[in-house]
Amino acid sequence: MLRHAVQRLMMAVPVMFGVLLVGFLLMQVVPTDPAVVRAGPNASAEIIGQIRSDLGLDQPLPVQFGLYLWRLLQGDLGVSIINNVPVSQELGATIGPTLELMFASLIWSIPLGIAMGTIAAYLRGSWLDRLVMAFSVAGVSVPVFFLGLVLIWFVGFQWQLLPFTGRAGPLWTIEGLRAVALPAITLGGVFVGPIARMTRTAVLDVLGADHVRTARAKGLPEHLVVLRHALRNAMVPVVTLIGLQIGFLLGGAVVTEQVFSWPGVGRLAVGAITSSDFPMAQGTIIVLSMGFIVVNLIVDLLYGVLDPRVRTA
Amino acid sequence: MSATTAEITAPARPSTLRLLLRDVGAAISLVLVLLSILLAVFAPWLAPNDPYDTNLMAIMQPPGGEYWLGTDGQGRDMLSRMLFGLRVTLTMGALSLAIGGSIGVLMGFCAAYYRRLDAVLMRLVDIMLSFPAILFGLAIAAIFGPGVTAVVIALSVATIPLMARIARSTALVVLGLDYIEAARAQGMGDARLIWRHLAPNCLSPILVFATLRFGQVILLGSALSFLGLGAQAPVAELGAMASQGRTFLFFAPHISVIPCAAIFVVVLAFNVLGDSLRDALDPRLRV
Repeated sequence: MLRHAVQRLMMAVPVMFGVLLVGFLLMQVVPTDPAVVRAGPNASAEIIGQIRSDLGLDQPLPVQFGLYLWRLLQGDLGVSIINNVPVSQELGATIGPTLELMFASLIWSIPLGIAMGTIAAYLRGSWLDRLVMAFSVAGVSVPVFFLGLVLIWFVGFQWQLLPFTGRAGPLWTIEGLRAVALPAITLGGVFVGPIARMTRTAVLDVLGADHVRTARAKGLPEHLVVLRHALRNAMVPVVTLIGLQIGFLLGGAVVTEQVFSWPGVGRLAVGAITSSDFPMAQGTIIVLSMGFIVVNLIVDLLYGVLDPRVRTA
Repeated sequence: MSATTAEITAPARPSTLRLLLRDVGAAISLVLVLLSILLAVFAPWLAPNDPYDTNLMAIMQPPGGEYWLGTDGQGRDMLSRMLFGLRVTLTMGALSLAIGGSIGVLMGFCAAYYRRLDAVLMRLVDIMLSFPAILFGLAIAAIFGPGVTAVVIALSVATIPLMARIARSTALVVLGLDYIEAARAQGMGDARLIWRHLAPNCLSPILVFATLRFGQVILLGSALSFLGLGAQAPVAELGAMASQGRTFLFFAPHISVIPCAAIFVVVLAFNVLGDSLRDALDPRLRV
């Protein structure tokens, strides 16, 4: 177990280093001087020179990279060109809402997808199975923004049932829940299909296995055969595959945040890129990449816990 | 092609096209795919109006009048913009798939053929796979500035590792077959062997993957354009049109809904076609 964990960790470290290097080089090719930005619009040449040497911008590139990493470790990601706010401060304010949106989307779509996939596998070939499969192909084909706009038009505008712009508070308040509902239905909606499809395949595999036949032969009630013997063993591949879909979830979240003006990291990143706010763009991309690498690592390790065969492989 | 290869690639079975057309869903999606390609290719001849001509006397017209699909917020003909938009969207997807796919196939073949390169190339693929396409999109748009070029680069890069894996695993199976050994015994060179004997026999899995990937690439490309990182105004592109239409969602929903629906239909057609193609080309999956 420990060896597996160390191995995965050893692989993640160079990747993280690479991301930081690319992020650093990104700032070298863009046409802005961080010293001028930090000094503000009315700074004199002396002050800019002072800041330049404070930041080490007069040093050779490798030294600058070292200083950059050092500042990063202290949580200093630079300052926005647009509003002079520290990047870390903006990121701190947007990470919460993004995680909230992802949580609210997965909390209903994973159970629903697993239930749909299990039923489809059990009733293989029936109209219900075909319906689930059709739904799942449609789910991977629909643009996230289409689903979002349709929900806004009907639920938000025509029927006036739920709000559709921005966040109204934490998830444990009524207003917060109402505000997250439509974005979470949108993002979760495109996630149900793939989960159902993966679960169906995994359960089909297990239903044909010997131990399931044994369970039936000893007269176990059918629902116990499915729940206790088939589904439980199918969960290992399903959990892994859900983990592998995190990138898909992130992409969907960026678009969903844009559609519903949800104040998350994705919207911050897109806004920074379209307004050429380079330090902000760099900071958001680095944080998103790092978060993604860490989540992948956790999924990898979880897989090792769930399936002992992985550890020895 | 030598007689040996012909025997392996073409056992006696119904043609792929015939197998495809047996399935109603596959037949419909094949027609839709061909139709969308034709519409995109002949857009300049089919479009009734200039897609950039504004008519301020006729803004936000609903579909069905003088303008078949109505007009947008600046009085531009939606039908003409849709045709040109489809052209840009499909071109963006095709370019990304061609560039990323070629590099990926080359990497996969090299990894399978030159075993010494395998570990290095596949580690590179693993690293590339550990980043989702949206992050490539954001990073490349940040470096090069938003635009169609940034989207094509991002989607190409995101396609490389996936295609490399498919090509490698397929090539490994084919390379183990006897006729490859025979060709080698004849003294055939590496490049010729890869091109004449390896590539043709790896075609079906690569074709299936390319079809399925095309749908995903279009979905991702239009999403990036929707975010404002891809095609820039006034260029007609389906994702960008959907985004611009959002301003008028409550007065004229068709401006946004028509491009969205078009993306949905095209991607769905490619996905269904890809699934059916896989079933038809892979006899093991056929029941």
